Amino acid sequence: MLHRYGLALASTLLLSWPVAASAADTIKIGFPIPLSGPAAVYGKPILAGAEMAVAEINAKGGVLGRKLEILSRDSKANADEAVRLAREMIIKDRVDFLAGTLTSAEAPAVSTVAKENKIVFVAPSAKTTMLTDPQHIHPYIFRVASNTDVEGLAGATLMARWKDVKTVATIAPDYAYGRDSAAAFIAALKKVRPDIQIVDQEWPKLGEPDFTAFITAQMGKKPDAVYCSLFAGDFVTFTKEATPRGYFKAINNRLIDGAEVGTPDEAQALGSDYPYGIIANSYDPVLWSGNEPAAHKTYIENLKKFTNTQYASGWSIVGYQSIYALAAGIKKAGSVSSDPVAKALLGLKWDTPVGERSFSVKSHETFAPEYWGEMVKEAAYPFATIKDPEVLPKSFPATN
Amino acid sequence: MTVATTTAVLRRRATATTALRHRVFSGRVPWTLVVFIIMATVPWIGSRYDTFLAAQIVIDALFAVSLNLLLGTTGLVSFGHVAYFGVGAYVCGILMKTYAVPFSLAFPAAGLGAALFALISGYFCVRLIKLYFAMLTLAFSQIIWAIAYKWNAVTGGDQGLPEIPYPHLDWMSAIPGFADLSIGDRFYLLTLVLVAVSLAVVHRVIRSPFGRVLTTIRDNPERAAFLGINVRLYQLAAFVVAGGFAGLAGALYGIFSRGVFADFVFWSKSAEILIMTILGGAGYFWGPPVGAAALVWLNQAITDYTQYWSFVLGAILLVLLFGFPGGIVGGLDLLWQRLKRLRNA
Amino acid sequence: MSASFLFSQFMGGLTTAMFLFLIASGLSLVFGVMRVINFAHGSFYMIGAYLAWQAVQWLHPTGGGFWLAALFAAVGVGILGALTERLFFRSLYGREELYQLLFTYALVLILGDAAKFIWGTDQLSVSTPPALAGSVQIFGTTQPLYTLFIIAIGPAIAFTLWLVLNRTGAGRMVRAAQMDREMLDALGANVATIYTVMFALSACLAGLSGALVTPIESIVPGMDVLIIVQAFIVVVIGGMGSLWGTFWGSVIYGQVLSFGILIFPGFSLFSVFALMAVILIVRPWGLFGRPL
Repeated sequence: MLHRYGLALASTLLLSWPVAASAADTIKIGFPIPLSGPAAVYGKPILAGAEMAVAEINAKGGVLGRKLEILSRDSKANADEAVRLAREMIIKDRVDFLAGTLTSAEAPAVSTVAKENKIVFVAPSAKTTMLTDPQHIHPYIFRVASNTDVEGLAGATLMARWKDVKTVATIAPDYAYGRDSAAAFIAALKKVRPDIQIVDQEWPKLGEPDFTAFITAQMGKKPDAVYCSLFAGDFVTFTKEATPRGYFKAINNRLIDGAEVGTPDEAQALGSDYPYGIIANSYDPVLWSGNEPAAHKTYIENLKKFTNTQYASGWSIVGYQSIYALAAGIKKAGSVSSDPVAKALLGLKWDTPVGERSFSVKSHETFAPEYWGEMVKEAAYPFATIKDPEVLPKSFPATN
Repeated sequence: MTVATTTAVLRRRATATTALRHRVFSGRVPWTLVVFIIMATVPWIGSRYDTFLAAQIVIDALFAVSLNLLLGTTGLVSFGHVAYFGVGAYVCGILMKTYAVPFSLAFPAAGLGAALFALISGYFCVRLIKLYFAMLTLAFSQIIWAIAYKWNAVTGGDQGLPEIPYPHLDWMSAIPGFADLSIGDRFYLLTLVLVAVSLAVVHRVIRSPFGRVLTTIRDNPERAAFLGINVRLYQLAAFVVAGGFAGLAGALYGIFSRGVFADFVFWSKSAEILIMTILGGAGYFWGPPVGAAALVWLNQAITDYTQYWSFVLGAILLVLLFGFPGGIVGGLDLLWQRLKRLRNA
Repeated sequence: MSASFLFSQFMGGLTTAMFLFLIASGLSLVFGVMRVINFAHGSFYMIGAYLAWQAVQWLHPTGGGFWLAALFAAVGVGILGALTERLFFRSLYGREELYQLLFTYALVLILGDAAKFIWGTDQLSVSTPPALAGSVQIFGTTQPLYTLFIIAIGPAIAFTLWLVLNRTGAGRMVRAAQMDREMLDALGANVATIYTVMFALSACLAGLSGALVTPIESIVPGMDVLIIVQAFIVVVIGGMGSLWGTFWGSVIYGQVLSFGILIFPGFSLFSVFALMAVILIVRPWGLFGRPL
C-alpha cells in the first residue's frame, strides 16, 4: 500500500533526524554576524578578533578550566536571519552565551531572544540607543560598542570647529542606527552651534546599490558640510558614485562620518578611491603615531599573524573586547550560568589594548570613545590613515 | 471529529492524465490520525529542538497547503502568496504586541485581514491571464514588502517587530500531563491543533462541490465557462480562502519566530513555498505537508555540512523538474502503481 | 529648486534608466520569442560583473583592460546562456510554463551560490576605465563621463537591436518566431537554433550590462536578486517583448525613482511596485506591447 512506503520513508527520516548537540566540555558562544554582502567588510574582522581572543584565552587554559568555542554563522546583516540563527544555536547547539551581530537592526532583535531564553548577549558593534534604553534593557544584554548619543556628541564637537559652516546636511541609512545617529548629531550640534541650519536629510536604504538620486538631491541643497552615517560596503559604493559627480569637491571634503570608515579595513576596500580630507573615526587607529601603549602594539602584532594580513583591522578590537569581557564575567561569577554571569558583568572592569573598559551598572554599556581625525594619504601606507587621531568625546554624561 | 470522518471516506480514482488526485487513506488504518498523534507527542518524547523543527514543519505545511489550493486545485500560479502570509503575521503581531490584544482575537483577525487583502488584490489578479496573473501577484507582494519595510511606526521597518508575546496558555496546566510543558511546547501543541483543524477545513473545501468546480476550471476554463460557471468569481473565492489560510499560517509563524520582520514578505519566500509544494507533489492534498517536512529536514541536515544550501536547493529543484514532476508523493504513487501491476500480472 | 538641480536629477534618472534598459532588453527579447520569464537573467548580470572583475584581475591587477574585460564578460555569459538553453531548457519546452519558470529559479539558486563559491562573499570593486574617468560641466552640474557614456550606449544598443530585428533576414525569422512558432517550424526554419541564439544573445546583453555597471556599483552577492525585480518592473511597464517598450519603460522607471526621492522620499520603494501593479491592472501588455 501507499502508506507502507510512506512508513518506510518516515522511518528513514526519523533515523536520520538531525539531533541537538549533546553537552560538551567547551563553553559555547553563539556568534551570528554578517559574513557576506556589503556588511561583511566589518563583520569578518570582528569575528576574527573574537576568535583571536578565544585562541589566546584557551592557550592560557581557558576559563574555569574549560575552553571557549565560537559558533559563527552568517547573518547577512538581516534581523530576521540573526534571530533565526540565534534561536537555532540556543535550541540545537545549546550555546551558553551569545555575542556578535553587527547592525542596529540585528542586535535589538537578538537581544529579545537573549532576554526570553535568559542567555547573556554581548553586542560588539551595534550603536542604537534602543538596545539599552529603559524600554528595552534587561539583565542579559551588554554592549561593548559606543552608542549613537556618544557618537553624535563627538561628531557635533568636530563639526562645531568649522566656524564658517552655516548649513549642514545628513545622509544616513534608513534604519535604527542611521536614524538615531543623525538625530543625536543634530541634537548635540544644536547645543554647541545653534546657528547652524540643517538643510537636507537623505535616507537611502541599507545595502542600496545606487545612491545617485540621493547624491544629486543632496548636492542640490548646497550644504556647507555633511554628517554621514553610511558604512562598510555602502560607503564604498556611495563614494564611487559621489566622487565623479563632484560631491566631495562641492563641500570641500567637509564630511564627517561616525560609522568607522576610518578603519584600515574600509580604507583598503576603497584603495585610491578614498575621499581624502574627510573626517572619520575608528575604535582602533591601528597605525598609531605617537605614544602607543605596549599592550596595543602586542595586540596588533598578534592580530596580523592571526589573520595573516599585512595590515591589521580596526574592527577586530570590538570582537576581541567582547570575548574578554565575557571571559572576565564568567571568571568572576565562577559559573557558566547566565544569571550569575549577568550579575558579575555589572560594573565589571576589564583590560583592553586601548585602555580599561567597564560595563555601566545602570545601562550595561561601556563608555567607548573613538579615535577621530582627518583621513590623509601618507607615503608609508598604500591606503588612507587617520592623521593625529583624537579621542572623542572626552567624557559623556551617563545615559538613561 | 473531522479526522475520523475523513478517514472513513472511500478512495477515489482519477484518470492518469488528471494532475490532481484526491487520495484518502482508506479503511483500516486512519493514517492522518496516527500522524497527528505522533506529532502531538513530540514535546514529551523529543528534545526542545525536535519541537522547534516540528513547529516549523506544521506551520509551513499549512502555508503550502493554502498555496496548493491555488496551484494544484485551481491551476493558478501565484508568485506572491507570501503577501497574505505577511499580512497575517503583521496583523497578529501588531495586535498582540502593540495593542495587547489576546491571541483568541488576533489570530482570526489575521486570517480575516489576509483574506480581505486577498479579496482586493485577487479581484484584479484573476482578470489576467496566466503570465500577467503571476506578475501582478508578485507586484502586490512586493508592495506589501515595501510597506512593511518603510512604515517604521507601525511595522518596525527594517528592525521589524521582535518580542511578539506568546498567547496566554496557563490554562493548559489544568490538563493532566501538561503542567510541566514550557510555553514553547504549549504553543507548539496549540499550533498543531489549529493547523490540523485548518487542514481539515481546506480538505473539506476541496472535496466539496465548490472544490470540484475549481478543478473543472483548472482542467478546462473554456469548458467551465460554457457550462455557465462564473470562472472569475470562483477563482476569486479560491484566492480569498487560500489567502486567509496563508494569513493564519503567518500569524502562527510570527509568534513561533518570536518576531515579525519585513524579509518574511520578500518574494524569494514565495518561491520557497512553491518549491516546497512541488517537492511534495502538487497533485496531492498531502503533497505540500510532505514537502514541508522534507524541506525542513533537508535544510537542517545539509546546513550542518555546507553553507551552500541554495545550491543544493536549486539542484533538488532541477531533479524534481526533470525527473520527478509529481514530487515525493507522486513518486511514491508511481512506485505503488508499478508494484501493484507487478503483483497483479 | 534650480534648473540645474532638476537637470541633475534628470540625468541621474537617465543613467539608471539606461543601465536597466541594457539588462531588461535581454529579458524582453527572450520573452518575446520564447514566452518565458527568465528569473536567472539577474544571475547572468551578476556573473557578467564577476567575470569582468576577474578579467581585470588577470589582465592588469592595478586596473586597465576594462573594455577587454567587458567583452570577456559578455561572451562568457553568452556561452553560459547558450549551454544552459541547449542542455537543459530545451527539454522543458513542451511542458507547463510553471516548470520553465521554476527552472530559471533553480538557476538563480545554483548560480548565486556558484558565484559565492568562486569569488567569495566580499564586496568587489572595479575602477572606471581611465578614458572615461573624468567629468564635464553641463548646465552648472558635474556629469561624470562614464554616466554620459552609459546614457549614450543605451539608445545605441536599442537602435542596433532594432536594425537587426527589422532590417535583416535573421531578424525577420526572429520576429516570425515571435508571432507564430509552429508556422515557422512547419515552413522548415530551424526554430531550435533561433531559440538558442536568442537566449545566448539575451544572456550576452545581461553579461555586458553586468560588466558595464561595475565602475559605478559594487559587485556583491545578492545583486542578482535585487536587479531582477527591477527588470521585471521595467518590462511590465513597457510591454513584454517590445524593444521600444522596454526602452521607454526604463526611462519612466528611472525618472520615477529619481524624482520620487524629492517628492515623496519614503515612498520611492513603494511607488515603483505600485506603478507595476497599476499597469498590469489597467493595461497588462504594457505601454508599447501587444495583447498576448
